[in-house]
Amino acid sequence: MTINPDFHSSTNTTAFSYFQIDDSWKSRTGKGVSVAVIDSGIDENHPDLKGKIKESVEAKAENKRIIFESSDTGDSAGHGTACAGIIAKIASEAEFYSIKVLGAGGLGDGQAFLAGLEYAIKKRYRVINLSLGTTKPQFFSPLHDLLDRAYQAGCIVVAAANNLPQPSFPSVFSSSLISVIKSAETDPFNFGFHYGEVIELTAPGVNVRTAWLGSGYRNLTGNSFACPHIVGIIAQLLEAYPKLTPFQVKSALYGIAKENQEKHRTEK
Amino acid sequence: MVFKSLLLYSHSLFVKRGIFEENQTIPKTDEKNAKKMQKDLPKKMQTLIETFDVANVLTEPLTRSIENLLRVSAATMNSEEASVLIRDGDQGDLRFLSAIGKVADKLLNLRVPAGKGIAGFVLSSGQPMAVADVGDEQTFYDEVDRKTGYSTQTILATPLRHNGEIIGVLEYVNRIGEPPFESFTPDEMDNAAMFAEVIASLVNAYESAKLLRDFGSKMLSDKNEPDYIEIRNWLRTLRDSTEHREMMDLAVLLREIAARGDGERQLCRELLESILRFSDTKTETSFLNF
Repeated sequence: MTINPDFHSSTNTTAFSYFQIDDSWKSRTGKGVSVAVIDSGIDENHPDLKGKIKESVEAKAENKRIIFESSDTGDSAGHGTACAGIIAKIASEAEFYSIKVLGAGGLGDGQAFLAGLEYAIKKRYRVINLSLGTTKPQFFSPLHDLLDRAYQAGCIVVAAANNLPQPSFPSVFSSSLISVIKSAETDPFNFGFHYGEVIELTAPGVNVRTAWLGSGYRNLTGNSFACPHIVGIIAQLLEAYPKLTPFQVKSALYGIAKENQEKHRTEK
Repeated sequence: MVFKSLLLYSHSLFVKRGIFEENQTIPKTDEKNAKKMQKDLPKKMQTLIETFDVANVLTEPLTRSIENLLRVSAATMNSEEASVLIRDGDQGDLRFLSAIGKVADKLLNLRVPAGKGIAGFVLSSGQPMAVADVGDEQTFYDEVDRKTGYSTQTILATPLRHNGEIIGVLEYVNRIGEPPFESFTPDEMDNAAMFAEVIASLVNAYESAKLLRDFGSKMLSDKNEPDYIEIRNWLRTLRDSTEHREMMDLAVLLREIAARGDGERQLCRELLESILRFSDTKTETSFLNF
């Protein structure tokens, strides 16, 4: 199957032939694809990440609003580095943009995280890895708005499941949010589909070995480590098919996940 | 001494409401009222003391319950070091509230700065996490290990959630026996989440009781308690979440307005309702100063 990027100009297309993917995307490296990591920052000195971070900013509170300034304080918790490390292992040439919203002190949790998301959308970063979340009801509405704006801007937001409020229909169709939960699977290409209110994918998230502070490595378990696996896959897809919209990306991932499921079933 | 301050407090309230003028001595006709107030004071004191005692009774056993829960849950996880951290202030800092294990006494009241370490991250993200296999040169829990001399090799951290807010972090560190330790499994993470639910409500009860106790001691203090303004100033210094403080501040303000009379209550209600209507139509969602 191949995606036809010239769908609009082609005269001989059917719905079936339009949406086709072959496996060539698996050999891609995410070259030229912008990936934003909204997290605790990224350790730019880690051997796995050297030279891959194009820009690092961090949130600062100013007059009850958030501004983003250039950051050189690296990673305050290790998590951001871990996520970036997972993405870089799958898409080794992706371009990283670190948006540090954690450990800045004096910021309301939800506010800084939403501001970070808004910043990434304004910058039109193609894929956004969202490790933080909010459960405060007053942020549900701004979050829906932001996810819709991300969709309009062509930005794909990937978040750990159970972390963000479940959008209700029909916004789930317009929102670019892809939520991911962990599985014990180890092959990043073998991600699955888990039906829920929001598109949910499963990806490796148990004992994932990845970069950590101090140029080290750790074994990590959690939904927030499954999330970057999907981000890496999306970076590969986008290098192969740069014009994909968020909706098409979601459809592609769903298709691939279903295929994985079928393969798994027939292999048994 | 306390009776006197309560009397003066009520007097100042009457002054505020325009019932008495400043520096006016209590007129003879109101001496009956003053005597009545004096008689009511023991009852007021009684209530305050009861509040104080109840809060005390609530706080002490609660920390012990939390400790017991830690012991039981740690045993099911084949771990013997566990701790509960809670928010300290509104900057996102954490402080150890309860701990069991070899270095428990060193951990109590130790602070973890905002966003630092696994606990800092779990507090902000609300996502449970297990991290394993610390390199021998540098532990990732430097902040804490340095102060306790303990070595964190594998850790499971899960958020404590109450009413949709993350109020703290529950941690399990290492396993019973000698290293190398097995990392915590997803099933153990699920178990920890269940314990977290119970522990979260205990922690919340502890915090509320503590608030009550602090308020009780404030009311009983010797100082001249002037008026609502000081209560609100004191509320501002409370170690509590900003939102909670603001809500309590609003509540005190509302009480003050409501106490002033019919006209004020009516106006207040109209204003508040129009704010609600405005809020419903508001489209502003940007937090960014761009």
